[in-house]
Amino acid sequence: MASQNPDNYQLSATEPNVTTEEALKSQLMTLNMGPQHPATHGVLRVEILTDSEVVAKAIPHLGYLHRCMEKHCENLDYRGIIPFVDRLDYLAAMNMELGYALTVEKMAGTEVPRRAQLIRVLVSELQRIASHLMAFGTYAIDLGAFSPFLYAFDEREKILRLFEEISGARLLYNYIWLGGVWNDISEQQLERISEFCDHFEGEVDKYNNLVTHNKIFKDRTCNVGTLTAEDCFAYGATGPVLRGSGVDWDLRKVDPYCGYEEFDFDVPLGAGEEGTIGDCWNRYYVRMKEMKESVKIIRQVLDKIEDGPIMGKVSKVLKLPKGEVYVRTECPRGELGIHLVSEENGKKPYRMKVKSPCFTHTSMLPFMAPGQMIADFVATIGSIDIVLGEVDR
Amino acid sequence: MLNDLVELLNKNIKDVDAEVLTPENGDHSILIKGKNSFHSAIKFIKENDSISFNALQVISGVDYLDHIEVNYMFANFDKNKPHTAIVKVRLEGRVDPSIDSIVDLYPAADFQERECYDMFGVVFNNHPDPRRILCPYDWEGFPLRKDYMSPKTYAGMDVFPDDKMNMNQREYIVHEKAEVARKKAEEKAASESKTE
Amino acid sequence: MSTSVETGSFKDYFRGLYQGVTSTAKGMWITFKYVWSHKPVTIEYPEVREVLPEKARMRLYNDSQNCISCTNCANACPVDCIYISSVSRPKGEDIPKTSNGQAIRKILTQFDIDTALCCYCGLCTTVCPTECLTHSHDYEFSQYAVEGFIVDYLDPEVKQWRDRIVKNP
Repeated sequence: MASQNPDNYQLSATEPNVTTEEALKSQLMTLNMGPQHPATHGVLRVEILTDSEVVAKAIPHLGYLHRCMEKHCENLDYRGIIPFVDRLDYLAAMNMELGYALTVEKMAGTEVPRRAQLIRVLVSELQRIASHLMAFGTYAIDLGAFSPFLYAFDEREKILRLFEEISGARLLYNYIWLGGVWNDISEQQLERISEFCDHFEGEVDKYNNLVTHNKIFKDRTCNVGTLTAEDCFAYGATGPVLRGSGVDWDLRKVDPYCGYEEFDFDVPLGAGEEGTIGDCWNRYYVRMKEMKESVKIIRQVLDKIEDGPIMGKVSKVLKLPKGEVYVRTECPRGELGIHLVSEENGKKPYRMKVKSPCFTHTSMLPFMAPGQMIADFVATIGSIDIVLGEVDR
Repeated sequence: MLNDLVELLNKNIKDVDAEVLTPENGDHSILIKGKNSFHSAIKFIKENDSISFNALQVISGVDYLDHIEVNYMFANFDKNKPHTAIVKVRLEGRVDPSIDSIVDLYPAADFQERECYDMFGVVFNNHPDPRRILCPYDWEGFPLRKDYMSPKTYAGMDVFPDDKMNMNQREYIVHEKAEVARKKAEEKAASESKTE
Repeated sequence: MSTSVETGSFKDYFRGLYQGVTSTAKGMWITFKYVWSHKPVTIEYPEVREVLPEKARMRLYNDSQNCISCTNCANACPVDCIYISSVSRPKGEDIPKTSNGQAIRKILTQFDIDTALCCYCGLCTTVCPTECLTHSHDYEFSQYAVEGFIVDYLDPEVKQWRDRIVKNP
């Protein structure tokens, strides 16, 4: 690669080897972590310069999963984009769809019926639980505990099964449409969700006993990868990473969308119960607590849900007026922002930029890595919970 | 709120020439015309006392063919003052349009500016690590520009191999349609000759 | 890295030891409970097959008898994996009707779907006016070559599979 166009390829890390004895002793060792490393949760390649076992510098190389999503969107009509948006963060596809649908609806001025809005909140909170379960399970695997992964997947499977029944697919749903949702949820399914909620709160306590308060787990994660609130502001971190550093910032509270203002829930913050505020353990524990808050929201939705239409009035060929919007929504991994530019009577977006939280969090890795052991670096990557589909888009 | 900020900007920064854009649909934004004082304007946006923004969320480029617009989305992660702003600059020219980098103010801009360079070819002056980020490091062209044509080959490989993209299948359709049209024309000619 | 064991005193050392033993025992107790009290949830495929939900979106099936060649599905498809071509019916011939009463004005000459490209989003089935294009429940269609994924729905063999692959035959 380097030989073809040296001007464009300036990889500062891999310079030619120097073989004098002095140089060898001072030289850092290059270690490639990824692209296929189980702890990177996808195809992230991190070039690590190590001094014995301590990371001196970490250089993330992105783009192994780059699918030109933004370019594709410029050539698709607004309905056809939804399956593509699903594939951004494939572990939280409902939240991605919700963010996109809200963007286009804000531009078109569509009103969403109340039942559809409540169903949207319901599915996106269920998806948040599923996504956090995945984060919990894989984080435990990263740190050497295998069985929590299976317990987490057992519960996640129930949510995915429910989604399969209402939307037809297990992972990439195409369920939240512009103006509403595709299918209705039946009474039996709502009852099953209610049963799931009763059962699930006990499960979270079980996970806490199993992993969160385990001494080995705490030794691996407390005081590791600490981020202060100022670091988070500087790098624009959002979601559990920001809240793990003790900043009370949740878009569902601060800038409510989709009717979140009528629900009563708390925003869990990292308080430094073990170790310091903003370490890996806090970020992880914020997720565990958020699952319980999601259950709280789901219960309130189940109380409030009422009969009614599930699709608003959307013209068959959707044309948007000229303008641009930037809409932010709170996804399991942070804030998803969609910047949509449309032309006069455009059937296709002129430009669609996706602000993905994982991309922002990946940019923090070079900042967090120096001075850590390699094993701690694995814990750090796991704690910011990146999904490479969203990083590379 | 944006009006206040623009007033402050024009008062405090020399030659910044900022104005508020109020389109009919969508979000309002701030356009900064004085590109030379862009860096100091962003510094002012970050550090002033009344309306400050402590986080940069995203840098989004838009190609309008006659100019490339770079949008900076700022936010203030403070529950009491949760304001946001979109700051725009317009860069003329297709070859290496450039603007000052703001990595020293917001480290978040590091990856975002690299992505903007990767996709639109906007050069950020004083950027510490001006490499591509999503495309391969030796990729040619800037994919999200509207006049972008992707290269036929990359590193000795076909970018669009026929067998993978079902190109032969599509040609088959075209071929089929042409065949049908030709047959039709022949039949028509035959029937016409019969009637004569 | 500053754990209590590294920095602390004797007391911290023994506290850490105690916490380690108790928290691990707690976790092991939860694991052991699973051994006795929980039935296995794994399904032993292929001996046991899960019944898919009614709306499950698996491989597409087109009932070519009812297709009116409107190409709505091909236009709605975000990945362009549906290939349709048709010719207009010669004059004077009877125009057949679909099962829900729409006139079939064109003769379908090609209806191919590349299931390798298909993303199973279901947009094509929602725009079909005669509801002839549906998602079946067939998820076992592995092939030896990529070419095998292009399914020709005018092929008489497709009708032989019909009983196996169509949701409501």
